This record gives sequence, structure tokens and C-alpha cells, in this order.
Amino acid sequence: MSTPALLEVRDVSVAYPIWGGIFRRRVGEGRAVDHVSFTLHKGETLGLVGESGCGKSTLAKTIIALLRHTVPGVRYEGQILFHRPDGSVVDLLALTPRQMRPMRSEIQMIFQDPFSSLNPRMTVAEIVEAPLRVRRVKGRRAIVRDLLARVGLDPDEQMGRYPHEFSGGQRQRIGIARALALRPELVIADEPVSALDVSVQSQVINLLVELQREFDLTLLFVAHDLSVVEYMSDRIAVMYLGRIVELGNADAVYQTPGHPYTQALVSSVPVPDPNVDRSNRIQIKGEIPTPLNRPTGCPFRTRCNIARPSCADTVPELEPTPTGQLVACLFPPGGQMERPPAEA
Amino acid sequence: MQTKDPDQKAGGASTEGKKSLSLFQLRLRRFRRLKRGYYSFLLLLGLYILSFFLPFLMNNRALVVRYNGTYYFPALASYLHETFGYYERLGFFKDTVLSPQTFGIDSVLARTDYRKLQTDFAARGGDDFVLMPPIPYHPNEQFLDLGENPPNAPSRLHLMGTDDRGRDVFVRLAYGFRISMTFALIVTVISYLIGTLVGACLGYFGGWLDLIGLRLVEIWGAIPFLYTVIILCSLLEPSFLLLTLILSAFGWLGICYYIRGEFYREKSRDYVGAAIATGERDTTIIARYILPNALTPIIAFAPFAIVANILALVGLDFLGFGLPAPTPSWGELIGQGKANIREWHLVVFPLLVMFFTLQLVVFIGEAVREAFDPKVFSRLR
Amino acid sequence: MTMQTQTHDSPAHAATANPGPLLEVRDLKTYFRTEAGISKAVDGVSFEVLPGEILGIVGESGSGKSVACLSVLRLIPDPPGYIAGGEIRYRGEPLLEKSYAQMRAIRGNEIAMIFQEPMTALNPVFTIGMQVMETLRRHQRLSRRAARERAVEMLDAVKIPDARKRMKDYPHQFSGGMLQRVMIAIALCCNPRLLIADEPTTALDVTTQSQILDLMLELKARRDDASILLVTHDLGVVAETCDRVVVMYGGKVQEVGSATRIFGQPRHPYTHGLLASLPSRHRKGDGPLYTIPGNVPSALDMPTGCKFCTRCDRVFDRCRLEEPPLHRLPDGSAVRCHLLEEEAR
Repeated sequence: MSTPALLEVRDVSVAYPIWGGIFRRRVGEGRAVDHVSFTLHKGETLGLVGESGCGKSTLAKTIIALLRHTVPGVRYEGQILFHRPDGSVVDLLALTPRQMRPMRSEIQMIFQDPFSSLNPRMTVAEIVEAPLRVRRVKGRRAIVRDLLARVGLDPDEQMGRYPHEFSGGQRQRIGIARALALRPELVIADEPVSALDVSVQSQVINLLVELQREFDLTLLFVAHDLSVVEYMSDRIAVMYLGRIVELGNADAVYQTPGHPYTQALVSSVPVPDPNVDRSNRIQIKGEIPTPLNRPTGCPFRTRCNIARPSCADTVPELEPTPTGQLVACLFPPGGQMERPPAEA
Repeated sequence: MQTKDPDQKAGGASTEGKKSLSLFQLRLRRFRRLKRGYYSFLLLLGLYILSFFLPFLMNNRALVVRYNGTYYFPALASYLHETFGYYERLGFFKDTVLSPQTFGIDSVLARTDYRKLQTDFAARGGDDFVLMPPIPYHPNEQFLDLGENPPNAPSRLHLMGTDDRGRDVFVRLAYGFRISMTFALIVTVISYLIGTLVGACLGYFGGWLDLIGLRLVEIWGAIPFLYTVIILCSLLEPSFLLLTLILSAFGWLGICYYIRGEFYREKSRDYVGAAIATGERDTTIIARYILPNALTPIIAFAPFAIVANILALVGLDFLGFGLPAPTPSWGELIGQGKANIREWHLVVFPLLVMFFTLQLVVFIGEAVREAFDPKVFSRLR
Repeated sequence: MTMQTQTHDSPAHAATANPGPLLEVRDLKTYFRTEAGISKAVDGVSFEVLPGEILGIVGESGSGKSVACLSVLRLIPDPPGYIAGGEIRYRGEPLLEKSYAQMRAIRGNEIAMIFQEPMTALNPVFTIGMQVMETLRRHQRLSRRAARERAVEMLDAVKIPDARKRMKDYPHQFSGGMLQRVMIAIALCCNPRLLIADEPTTALDVTTQSQILDLMLELKARRDDASILLVTHDLGVVAETCDRVVVMYGGKVQEVGSATRIFGQPRHPYTHGLLASLPSRHRKGDGPLYTIPGNVPSALDMPTGCKFCTRCDRVFDRCRLEEPPLHRLPDGSAVRCHLLEEEAR
């Protein structure tokens, strides 16, 4: 990582309140994100993978400060240091909504659901123009035109249309154009292709890769589809129950996963090839615990095949492994999973 | 990944060459296609517009009087006065009550009886004439010379008979229509405005504001409406303005709950998140992003709110806590029907007119709901 | 996992034991009336499910795969949908001519179905136990006690831990994966011959998905002549489970063949493109992913010729004018493409 850091997430925790009693008092809290730290370097793509409920979307929305508006009473800890283009460093978690507003042009988001992420009452031109209008940019129409053409839409034909006239893939392109309108430094893509059809998914992935190069973007790519993340990302962080259990180069994490959870995750992905031998697949048992009944010690120990009694005592920290990634496991399985590379 | 909603896809069809329609325009188009509701709407709108010209249609003042080469417009003068009379101090539209002496008739009365003038002029011959409105009666005018004691049964002169004070029922119903509709429209608009404003704030900001605000709304909603109205109306002189304020003050609660719920739902959708992420201000997000999407259910509900408000006014008038005495009102006529149950015309006509009007509004309501929130009744077979 | 290999070559064996197909769909047409005209969601689809096989129907949204399967059980909401033509034969009997009551007897008893969203498919106000028992009692006329015992057995069979205790729980107390297990238990209550699974794992996480798929394969292995019709958009899931695959696009069957053939040697340009555009099949550093250009056309304005002609990279004039027939290839598979006309002869 020769490039400088753009975003440093330091020991961040996000706890949702649990209301109870007649007066709706806070009776407890569920930690959706639990002491997460990582650094995002300029120009790289970090893939954030995990299953539903692992806290990956919460983390993404915490960085861009969306939760404060929609969910009251959420408690945050830690620091999210953002290195602004002018050289100053701000802690995004410490900002008030008003102070956050100037940062908005530097951090943008691409949403998962192309159907709910566009205001059905606005035309495409209005949707893409909105961020420019907020910043009072001049010559907006021309910029909107360029952006729409860049993401593969026809500005003349489609600028005045409404979202309901577009297919899912086209809507996602509109969402991408909106996110790029202000030339942000950091784009958080929250499952941008998981709602799309296979044949459209690859179009959008290619578009994102091209645009990243062209606009010199730093991407935080949140997804549950490992094969997409592996294709898109330079590095991958695997989350389980609010914690990062493995972090490393995409190839290393995907080919030689170090954490038992990552191993199970990688081997669970269905391979589109009937001839692949599935007999040595690693299955994990049971169900993901909710953040409310989080196990003591290692969060994964209740479902881990190689858990030992002592796993209940200490919370494992990320430690480097021989294959080069960081793994949060007290007894990392020595022999790596023998997974035949998909393309072999 | 689902093929379960082909309707959705129909909307999403690439309509090459066709003009792009917003959701609202699409719904408007769908509303126009629902003939029963659309024609009801046109009919009611027409009648309502027509009702503003009632002083020229049903009045005991002449439209035009020509006397000694001079033209007089008594109905217009009184209409302008009634409509814009509050500017009197500015000198506009004085109610020029023309005394009989104006037309060379020796009488002690202050006002001219134009119907009599008409027959006089006709009998005298010459160039003078009086042009009366099609129905030459005023809603508050009493006809006590019809032979028997009022109420009088329908006759050729009074198509729906007269009420217990000898006033023409048809004319009073017509004027009552204007008052009922105006009242219901104003109350609906005011309660929608208040309800939307309060509901939007509670729903969007949430948290403590919502917690406390909602409790206040609930307390307000727990005040018994009818008692309050009865008490207020016995303390204060009931007037159109007072009744409008009272009904609006209680009418916005339902809208507030609705809008609050819609805001809660809409604000968790991604387009609001996207708006926040672009740095839009809260007021912009409320007004430009969420509100247009949140209004759908209450727009579909509006005709039914109008029905409810018409009925509320009728109910208050019926109970005697409504508009002050000489005002032509449906509720008062229905009350007369109850008091004179043997006089069929006092029972049948007011109820028929009210039924007809409400039915029109309900037809409109059905069509609006169908256009805004279509539900197909389908079954699996 | 020995049953894995077993299922892969069992259809041939099963087919000889019982010659006719279990389910035969011929030229099925299911249309929807919309404001903008008639939407031909399924337009002349034919396929058959052989006894003992797992048949996968793959396609993207709008391909008509779900509608085709719902049509088999006549679960098309009417209006706006209706079956405009075709024939559906289950063990030789025409399903489209059955009365409502006869259909009800077939649903659940003979053909069972599991849906994409287990959360919405179960009634939230009844306990899981009651819902399983209800199915058992309705279809099998068991006593209360017997139904309860059988329900516990069923929940055990789908590997719900502590089944007896969890009978008293309500759907919201279960996770998505567990609910899908309950749905499978309900579907299998009456030992159906055919299980239609409409995107059964789409709403689930990968690790849960692989558990559910393994469960389905395991249960299937217990009964040799039972068949599964698996509808999905996920090519990986199909490759892992299915013996034969039907590829649908634009309301039509585009390619039919054994799973090994389809994934090893896709013949239709669409199938080829779908597989090539998967990131997991892509070699890193090979440049951008392969893409199929354009968007899925709406069912209202399908191209006149081949449904795929607007996006195909091997399109020629004839494709736009004339829809190719489903060419039967010597190896038993079929492809709807003009390019294979020669080979089909």
C-alpha cells in the first residue's frame, strides 16, 4: 500500500438501542458493529463481505452518516478519520449533521435497491442534478448530460423520463451517475449489483471498474456475493457478527482463506460447474446468533468446526498469517483449505 | 428476480417515441379513463361553478330593469355586494337597494318587489321591462300568501313546495348546496394543510419530537368533538367562520396520523438516504422528496373527507348548532322534515338532494382511489 | 455425498423403470392483461420432468420461469393473468381440465411447492406446529395426536434442532433458513411425487443456502422416483443440484440439455453469454467481464424474430425476421437458434 490513507476506521462500534418497559426506556443494546478497524487507501477497492446481519451495511451507513437520520438512539464509539483532499483530517463520527454537509460532496453512496433509491417523482435529469443543485454548481445541464452519456444512457432520449420507465440495470446506472456527479473521493457501494440480473450485473461491474479508473475513485464495496467481491476488490474484509474476522488481499482471502468462517463462506458459494467435486465442502452448522445473544469470546465459536473450550474466554484479535492476511482466530487452522482455483 | 408483477413491467415498458409521463400524470390519465368517476367529477364541478351564479338564477331581484330609458342591474349590485361586500369601506360595491320610488311606484316599502314591478310594467306596456332570474325567489323570502299555512306542498310555482316558514325548498336546497360544498372544501383543505404539516414534522424528525408531539395529538384527539362544538356554539355566535375553524381543528388528526406513518415508511427508503447523502436540507427533503410520495393515500382519501365534512355540517345544522338561522342549509331542512314528517316533500327532497350529491362525491372517490391505488380483485384458479 | 453422483446418472435408470414423464408441459401460454396490452409472460413453453430427476429452470427476471411453474399448479392470479393455451399433463392426466376441487387434491398431495419468501409463505399468527399439523390433518386425515407426532418427525427430518420444543414457536421466532426448512417439511408432508421449488434459496445467505440445498438433495435421495423442479436465476445453484436444465428467455425455452452439457458446452448464444459474464468464471487479469449488451426486453414489446436477437452477438438478418424453432440435437438436447439448424438435421 504505497498510496496514502483516505479513510481510517478506528475501533468503531455501533450499538442499536433496545427499548422496553412502559416508558420506552433503553433496556439494552445490540452491537451491530463491534470494534472494527481498517484503513482504506486512496484509489483502492476494499470489499466488505459477510452475510445478512453481520453489520456490513450498518458500517457503510455509519461512515456516510445515514443512520442518525433514520434510527434514533444509536450509540457510536471510535473514530472514522477522513483525509480530505485539502490535507485536513476530520473525524466523521464527531461531526454534527450540519458539519457533515460539506463532506457530502466527497463521500457518495451507491445503493442496493435500484427501485427504491431513485425518487419516483423526479425525472432522471432532476435526480442526477440534485447533488449539483445542492452545491450550486454552474452549467448543470451539460454536466448531467455528460454523466448520463458516460454511464451508458442516452441523454437526449432519456433525460426527461421518470424512473419507472427504466429497467433495474438502467436505474442502477442512474444511481451511479448521481453518485459521481460531484466527483467524490470515496464511493461506498452497498450491494450495487445484487439486485440485478446476471446478464446486467456484469455490465454494471465493468462500468464500475472503468469509472473507478477514470475518476480515480476509492471504493468501499459492500456485498455478500464473494465472486463479485473477489473480482472487484484489491483487498477483502470479511465480517461476522459485527467484527472483522479476516482482512487481506483479495486473492489470498479467496484462494487461501485463513479463518474457519471465511473457509466455510468460500466453499458454500455454488460453483457454476457441475463437474466440480463438492465432497470436501466445509459446512457450518447452526444459525448466525443475533447481536443480542452474542457469544462470549470468539463470536464464531458457536458454529465453528474447530472451536476449543478456550475460545469462549478471549476475543481474538486480527493476527497476520503465513499467507499474508490478517485473521482473527485463536487457533487458525494450519492447513489451508484445498480449494481448486475456479479457473484451473 | 421476480416475474410476479407484470403490471410493474407494463409501466416499465420502453415507450419509445411516447411522451414521458410522471406518476401523477399517469394517475390522472387513469382517472380520466374511469368514466363514472370522471363524469361525476365534471358534473359536480359544473354544478359547483354554477352555484356561484345562483344570485342570477334564483333571486327575487331583477337581472335587468329598464325604466324611463335607464338600465338598472339590481341582482348584479346585490351579488357584488354579497360577494365582495367586505370592501364596503373602500367604497366598492355598495348594496344599492333600489326603493320602489326609483321606478315611480308610491310605496312605503324600502325595497322594490320586482315580481310585482314586472307585472306592472307588462300591464302598462311601453319600453319599460323587468327581466327576472329563471326562478324569481330568494332563499330567505317567505311566501305566506299561498292559501294555506306553510309548509305548502309542491306546486307549479314552487316545484318542491315551501318549508314551515313558507320559503321555497328548491331555492334553499340550491343555496344550501353551495354552502355545504364550500364549507366541506375549505375544511378539507385546512385540515389537510395542518395535518400534513404536523404529520410531516413528527414523521420526519421522529425521536423526542414525535414522542411528545404524538401524545399532544392524542390528547387533542381525546377531546369529545360534539360536546366541544355544542359548548362553543352556545357561548359564541355560530358562524360560517367559527364552524370552519372548529371542524378543521378536529379534522386534521386523521390526516396527521396518516402522513406521519407515510413519512416513517418513506424515510427509510433509499432515495431519502441518497438525498441526505447529497447534502440536501431537511426542508427540501421533506417538501420535494418525501411529501409528493407520501400524499398518495390522503389524496385518494380526500373525496371521502369531503363527504364526511358535508355530513358533519348537515349534522350540526340538524341539531341546531350549525349556521345561524336564516342561512339556507340542508341540515335545517332535514330537521324540518323530521318535525313535519307528514309533509312528504320536506322529507323526500332534502334527503334526495343530499343523497345525490354525496353519491357523486363517492363515485369520484372510488375513481380516485382506483386511479391512485389500483387493486385487482383476483383469485387463483 | 455418494448420493450426489447417484442423482447425476439416475434419470436414465429411472426413465427405463417408468417410461412416461412425470410432468409434461406442452406449448404453455400464460398471458397477463395490462393497461398497455397483453403481456405474454409465457409464450409457448414446453418441457418435461422425468421421474426421479431434478430439472432446473434458469432465466432472468421477466423470462417467464416463475409464471410457467405457477401455471403448473394453476396459481396464476386471475385477473390479470390467464392461461391462454397449451397442455399440462401430470402422469398423463391433463391438469388444465381439472376442477377446482380436483386441483386442490393434487396440490400438496401430488405436487408440492416451496416459495422464495418463507417469511410471507407462513401465517404469522399460527405456531409452526399448528401449520405443519394442519397440512397433515387435511391431506392425510390423521388424528391430532398422530399428526403431532408426524409433524415432529417431519421437522426432525428437515434438521430443525429441538423440533418438539420449537413446534410451539411462531414464524417470527425462526430465522429465514429455518423457515425455509419448515416450508420444506410442510411440502414433503404428503410425500409428493413432484416438488416445485421457486427460487427456494434466493432470500437466504450463502452458508444457509448450501445447507438448504444439501437438505433438498438428501431428502430427494431418500425417494428415488420423486422429482424436483427447481426454478432459479442462480447458475451456481443449478450446477450444484440439477440433472437437466431448461434455459428460458423472453417467455420461451431457449435451450434444454443435461447440466454437464449446458455448463460445459453452452450452445445458445444467450446461455453462453450468461455463463461467460459470471465473475466466478472469469480469470482475473483478463480484462473486463464478458457482457451481454442491452437490457431484457419487456414482455409487451418482444422482438418479432428470435427473442434474443436484440442482444445477441451472433445475430444475422434471419434472426430478426423469423423465430427459430427448438432444434433437437443428436445428444438429446435442444436449442432455439438458427445457427444450429445444420447440426439438428
